[in-house]
Amino acid sequence: MYSDLLHALPDVFAWTNFAAVVIGVIAGIVVGAMPGLSATMAISVLVPFTFGLEPLVALGLMAGIYNGAMYGGAIPAVLLRIPGTPAAVATTFDGYPMAQKGEGGFALQVAVVSSSIGGIASAFALMLLAPPLSKVTLLFGPSEVFWVAVFGLASIIFLLGGNPVKGLISACFGVFVSVIGSDPIYGNDRFTFGQLEMLDGINIVILLVGLYALPPVIDLLETPLKTDGVNSSKLGTEPIWKALPRMKSFWKTWLRGSFLGIWIGILPGAGGSMAAFMSYNEARRTSKHPETWGEGEPEGVAAAEVANNADTASALIPALTLGIPGTAVAAVMLGGLLVHGLQPGPMLFRDNPDIVFGFMWQFLFGAILLVLLGGSLATNSFARLLNLPRPLLGSVIIVLMLIGVYSIHGRMFDVYLMLGFGAIGWVMDRLKFPLPPVVLGLILGGFAEENLRLALRIGRGDPMVLFQNWTSLILVALTVAVVVGPTLKKRFIDSRKKA
Amino acid sequence: MLNIFKKTAIAGAMILSAGAALAEYPEKPIEVIVGYSAGGGTDVMARTAAPFIEKYLGEGASLVVKNMPGASGQIGVTEAANAEPDGYTLGTFNLPGMMARTIDREADYNRDSFTYLANVVNDPNVIVTSKASGLDTLDKLLEEAKANPLAITVGMSSLGGDDHFALIKLEQATGTEFTIVPFKGSAPARTALLGGHVAMGILNISEVAEFQDQLNVLGVATNERSQFAPDLPTFKEQGLDLVNGSLRGFIAPAGLPEDVQAKLIGAFEQLSGDQEFLDAMAATANPVEVVTGEEFKQLTSDLYDLANGVWQTTPWN
Repeated sequence: MYSDLLHALPDVFAWTNFAAVVIGVIAGIVVGAMPGLSATMAISVLVPFTFGLEPLVALGLMAGIYNGAMYGGAIPAVLLRIPGTPAAVATTFDGYPMAQKGEGGFALQVAVVSSSIGGIASAFALMLLAPPLSKVTLLFGPSEVFWVAVFGLASIIFLLGGNPVKGLISACFGVFVSVIGSDPIYGNDRFTFGQLEMLDGINIVILLVGLYALPPVIDLLETPLKTDGVNSSKLGTEPIWKALPRMKSFWKTWLRGSFLGIWIGILPGAGGSMAAFMSYNEARRTSKHPETWGEGEPEGVAAAEVANNADTASALIPALTLGIPGTAVAAVMLGGLLVHGLQPGPMLFRDNPDIVFGFMWQFLFGAILLVLLGGSLATNSFARLLNLPRPLLGSVIIVLMLIGVYSIHGRMFDVYLMLGFGAIGWVMDRLKFPLPPVVLGLILGGFAEENLRLALRIGRGDPMVLFQNWTSLILVALTVAVVVGPTLKKRFIDSRKKA
Repeated sequence: MLNIFKKTAIAGAMILSAGAALAEYPEKPIEVIVGYSAGGGTDVMARTAAPFIEKYLGEGASLVVKNMPGASGQIGVTEAANAEPDGYTLGTFNLPGMMARTIDREADYNRDSFTYLANVVNDPNVIVTSKASGLDTLDKLLEEAKANPLAITVGMSSLGGDDHFALIKLEQATGTEFTIVPFKGSAPARTALLGGHVAMGILNISEVAEFQDQLNVLGVATNERSQFAPDLPTFKEQGLDLVNGSLRGFIAPAGLPEDVQAKLIGAFEQLSGDQEFLDAMAATANPVEVVTGEEFKQLTSDLYDLANGVWQTTPWN
C-alpha cells in the first residue's frame, strides 16, 4: 500500500509542481503575516482560480500556503502582539516579550523551526495513517457516518472553548445553510425561493470566502493600523545554524506538541488554536521553571508553533478517508480536492494514487521548505510586510474574491450570495460568534441529515439500525463523553472544592 | 484614377454581399451549453465530440463548449431551450433525467421545446450485488425478492435518474418490490455496496468495469453485449426483458431551420462511423450509440411516458 507513495514521488519534482509548493509557502507566509488574513481565507480565495490548473500544481499551492500561513501568523504575533492567524494567539504569550527584550529574531527562528517540525510530523502522520484508514472506511455505512457527523457537531460546540452557547448558535446557522437546496433523498426544494441557482445548495467555497475573507478585509480598510516599527527594527537576527543549538532542549516540547497537534487535527471540530493552547499549557506545566513563562520563554513559542502546524496535514486524514474535514481549512482543501475530481473515501487511493500521494509529499516538502524560505533573511523581509499599505491590500483581496467567486459557476448570483455571507460574517465577528462552527455545521449537518435518512431507509424505518454494530456504539459513547464530559469535570472539581 | 477606385470598391462590395448570400451555415462559432461542470461525463462527451462535428460540418466550423452547471443540468438545458433557434446555440441532453425534471419539479421546458439532433452515449445499467449478500446470480436475487418483498436494499444514485428507471422496469417485469436507498451519486452507492451496507445496486457499466472482482455483476441492460465487458451476459440472454441506460446527446431549441437541422444531424450521423471518435470515447469509458433526429425524439417521448406513468401511480417525491 505504501509503494504507491514512492511511485508518486517523481511527479512531485516536476518543476511546475515543485514551484507551486515554493510559491505557496512564500504566499502563505505573506498571508499569515497579515493580521486578520488566515490560511482558510487565502485558500478559499485561491480555490476558484485553481480550477483550470493541473491537480498537483493546484494542490501544491494549497499545501504550501497552508504550511506557510501557519508559521506566518507568528510574525505579527511576536513583533506586534497581534496574532496573524487565530492559531497564533498562544505565540504572543512569550514571543512578544522576547521581541521587547530585543530577541525578536530568535523568537521568529524558534517559530519557524518549530512550525517546520510540526508540519513534517503532521505530513508523516497523513502519509502513514490515511492509506490504512481508508480501508477501514468501508466499515462506515450510512449509520456510522451519521454518528461521525453527530460527534463532530458535538465537538465543535463543546470543545471549541469560550462560549458553548455562541458555538451552538454558529453551528446551527451552518446546519441551516446545509438544508438549503434540494433535499438529498427526494429532491424537493427547500428554502430556494424558486431560485434555480440555489437548487444545488450553497457552495462551500462561496460561504467560506464570504465568511472568512470579507470581515478581515473590512477591518483592514476600516482601521489602517499603525505599525509598531520598533520591534521589527531590532530583530537581532543571527544565522539559523547558530540559533539551532540553542533550541536543543526543546525536543520534548516538540514531540509532545506534534502528537497533540496531530491528534487534535484528526478530531473533527477542534483546530490549530486549540492545539496551540493545549501544547503551551502542557509544556509550561512540565517545565522546570514555569515562573518565567509569559515573560519571554522561547520554549513557549516552540510549544505553540509546533502544535499549530502539526494539525495541518492530520486534519486531512478524516477528510481524505471519510470526506469529513477535521478543521475549517481542511474543509476548504477538501473543496479544492473535489474540484480536481478527487472523491474522498476508499476509492481515492485506488483511483488517484499519484495525485493523493503526490499531495502528501507536497505537504512534507512545504513543511521542510518553511525553514529555508522562512529563515533569517526571509523573516526580516516578511516582517517588513507589516508596513504594506492596508487599503491597497484590502482592495486587491476584494477584487480577487469577486473574480474568484464569479468564476466558480460564471454567474453574479454567487457574488451576491458571497457578499451576503460576508455581511453575516462581519456581524458575527463583531458579536464574537465563532466562525468555524458555521463551516463545519454546513458540512457535518449535510452529512448527518443525508446519512440518517439513508440509514433509516436501509433499516426500513426502524431506528435500531443506528445502533447495530460496535462502530456505531463507540461513536455514540464518544459523543456522549464530549457532551457531558466538561459538565461532569466541572461538578467534580466543584465538589472537591467544597469538601 | 478615382474611377478605378470606385469600380474596385463597388466590385468589392458586390463580392462581399454575394459572399454573404452564398455563405452557408455555420458562419460563426456555435456555442454548446453543457449543464454540468467541466470534467464530468456530459462535458467529456461534448468536448470529445466537438472537433469531429466541426470536421463534418465543413471548413471553418467551430464549436465552443460552455459550462453552465447547476440543478442537475436543469439550468443549462433551460438556457438551451430558450435560446434563439438559429443553430448557433446547441445544448447537451441527458435522459431520463431531463424528462424526469419536467415531472417532479417545475421546469421552463418540456419535450416539445427541442429540436432533437442526436443521442451519442448510452451507458447501460447493470445490476450488481455485494459479495456479503450471497445473491450472486440473477435467479437467486429474484427468488429472494419474491420471497421477501422490500427486504432487499438497493443503492443507486438519485431518484428520477436512469438507475431508478431501471429498477422500476425490473419491478414491473418481475412483479417484485425493493427498498430504494438513493445516494448522492453513484460513487457513494458503490462504496456502500463494497462495504456491504446495501445488498444490491444499480449502476452504469462504466462505473463497475474495474470492480468486477469485488462485486457480483449480474447482467447488463442492453440488447447486445457491451464492448466494455464482453463476458457479461445481457439480461435478455437470462430471460429478462430489461434494457435501460443513461443517455447523453445533443439538442437545439425547437424551430431550427430545416436546412440547418439537416446539416447538423448529418454531421452527428457520421460520428458513429468515425473510428478515431469511437476510440476517443472508449478511452473515457463512454459507450457510443448514436441515435439521430426523429428516432431520438421518439426515445425521449417514450421515456417521458414511462416516467409520467410511474409518477401518476407512485410519485418518487
